[in-house]
Amino acid sequence: MINARYFDGKTSRLHQVQFRVDDGTAYVTGDMSRVVPLRDLQISDRMRHAPRRITFPDGAYLECSDQGELDALFSASGVTDTLVVRLQRNWRGVALAATLIVGIVVLSYLYLLPWSATMIARNLPAGVEASIGDGALEFLDKNFFSPSKLPLERQRNIQASFTELSATHNSELPIALVFRSSKIGANAFALPSRQIVLTDELVNLLNNNDELMAVLGHELGHIEEHHFTRRIIQSSAIAAGTALLFGDVSNVIAGVPTVLLDLKYSRDTESDADAFAVHLLIKNGMSPDNLAQVFEKLSRQQKGVEPVPYLSRHPLTQERLSNIRKFALAPDAH
Amino acid sequence: MTSAEIQQEQDSPQQFSFTGTGSEYFGIWIVNILLSIVTLGIYSAWAKVRRNRYFYSNTHVAQGSFEYHGNAIAILKGRILAVAFFILYNMAVRSSPRYLGIMLLVMAVFMPWLVWKSIQFKLHNSSYRGVRFGFRGSAGQAYFNFLLLPIVTLFTIYLLAPFTHQRIKKFQHTESRYGASYFSFDGKVGDFYLAYLIGFGALFAGLIAIGVVLGGGFMAFIAQAKNNQPNPAAISGFFLLIFAVYIWMFAIFPLFLTLIQNLIWNHTQLGNNHFRSNLKWGKMTFIFITNIIGVICTLGLFAPFAHVRLLKYRIESMTLIPGGSVDDFVAVEEQQVTATGEGVADVFDFDLSL
Repeated sequence: MINARYFDGKTSRLHQVQFRVDDGTAYVTGDMSRVVPLRDLQISDRMRHAPRRITFPDGAYLECSDQGELDALFSASGVTDTLVVRLQRNWRGVALAATLIVGIVVLSYLYLLPWSATMIARNLPAGVEASIGDGALEFLDKNFFSPSKLPLERQRNIQASFTELSATHNSELPIALVFRSSKIGANAFALPSRQIVLTDELVNLLNNNDELMAVLGHELGHIEEHHFTRRIIQSSAIAAGTALLFGDVSNVIAGVPTVLLDLKYSRDTESDADAFAVHLLIKNGMSPDNLAQVFEKLSRQQKGVEPVPYLSRHPLTQERLSNIRKFALAPDAH
Repeated sequence: MTSAEIQQEQDSPQQFSFTGTGSEYFGIWIVNILLSIVTLGIYSAWAKVRRNRYFYSNTHVAQGSFEYHGNAIAILKGRILAVAFFILYNMAVRSSPRYLGIMLLVMAVFMPWLVWKSIQFKLHNSSYRGVRFGFRGSAGQAYFNFLLLPIVTLFTIYLLAPFTHQRIKKFQHTESRYGASYFSFDGKVGDFYLAYLIGFGALFAGLIAIGVVLGGGFMAFIAQAKNNQPNPAAISGFFLLIFAVYIWMFAIFPLFLTLIQNLIWNHTQLGNNHFRSNLKWGKMTFIFITNIIGVICTLGLFAPFAHVRLLKYRIESMTLIPGGSVDDFVAVEEQQVTATGEGVADVFDFDLSL
């Protein structure tokens, strides 16, 4: 006979009762009397401190804090914990689960997510990526750019070299070169709308057609390998993942890992673009050292503190330089 | 004990108690995550049910405990729908400013409905001593309180925020019921303004102090950025400033939470029964900050412990002061609340406990 509290499910009244099981039938006696086959009762999961709850088909239930007695009663009657509950309450099971999770998360971050993002990005219809960043150039023109001061002849020259360069790579849609003068200094970047922006400052700094082609090759790599879409998919997945894991505790902490994890993806795509540029140069009979010279000229220009590796969007210059040799030797996957 | 003695014991102030532990919850949390990953998220609905059942069943007051009745299948259906929308929303927002506007509009129209459904389902799926809670508020009232008032508040540059907060709480609490009995709420708008004043006052006082003490570093940072000459001392001064601001904001948030939780529950009644909330700001802040440090240092593994710690403190600061017998509540015939709506509202899981 075990003491328990009985609630009838229709009122909040507490009834003191006794509970026992005989030959597959449960008997409740005391303030309330009930006789019910054991298999019709729903028994709550075993918890360390919370009282066990035995629910009747009509919604009434018993609450019993006598864990030890109940355990004995139930094991005698053949009531067992489900597999999941056993796993939760077993420290070896929990440790195994924790290890598996860490492994899965790390592997997904390093390999699975980038791979699936690439697959998705490659198979999106051609126009979708182009429409991302619609209006970005107008925005930039309004705030950062002024018309290019490069002589038209020079511009046409560069455009022609670039067309020749990119002809060796089968592009589905044409890429437009956009020349601008800018207070942001020497820079080149690709827009998802299949335009590559070049600043006068960069053209003048490099002052060498082959080196310019190296830069354009790198930017072309961003477009052809769908880095924009990849990054969006990967960022979204990370945001969702960290919110799920840490959202319980604080929305701010959930944000911090997102930024750091995302920076790694940024460095990865920059590296991929470098590899693309190296292969494109080689295909066109140009030396990959051109890309190295670009890095050297740019870093001399900055003459500043190199950012901390984990907090930067590009791999460190040293790393990029040594990677060029590696990429030149690797087979061309493009 | 005789029935009379039990009765008398039941009529004195009853402190809420929480018997869950971090280590026990860790097991549940880890297995939940593992099974959710392995089933590509499908199990997450059952995980949520397990989690809620754990927390509810470990919450006790006056010789009774709570129970969560949420249905995993319903939650799953809704989650699938909502996740699809979430992905769409995220991609749209990151790709183009145009889509952001449209998405915001869509969210504005649906949010109050979602919040309304969320409250209904949370209450309907909760019971104490076998009697379920419920919610009577209409959709119209929900749109008024969760859309109209916040928009108006926006236009008054948030000066109306405490007023809106009071209105929302009043709506929530007076339309909620336990069995056939409705809650009541007599918190005044003035009390909310006072709480906000204290919170923001403390926030600004601290920010000013930080500015005075560490502002020098900030100015040096601006100067060196302009001259393009990196100065390590100025850079670290700048980061110290940012860090201090973050820490202060983390410290003020529990202060605000404390003031608000105490305010709300000290003014909530269920018939003749009253509630008391005795949160102390110092303890809240300590738990909060040590939780964050713990989670960061353990790369997240401390999260379930952190959750239990905070929840335990918040629950055990509450006391029920019975005004009659806790035995006297009666259940109400429930009309079934649509299951899919439950799942959708569930994904957005609004924590309206503030």
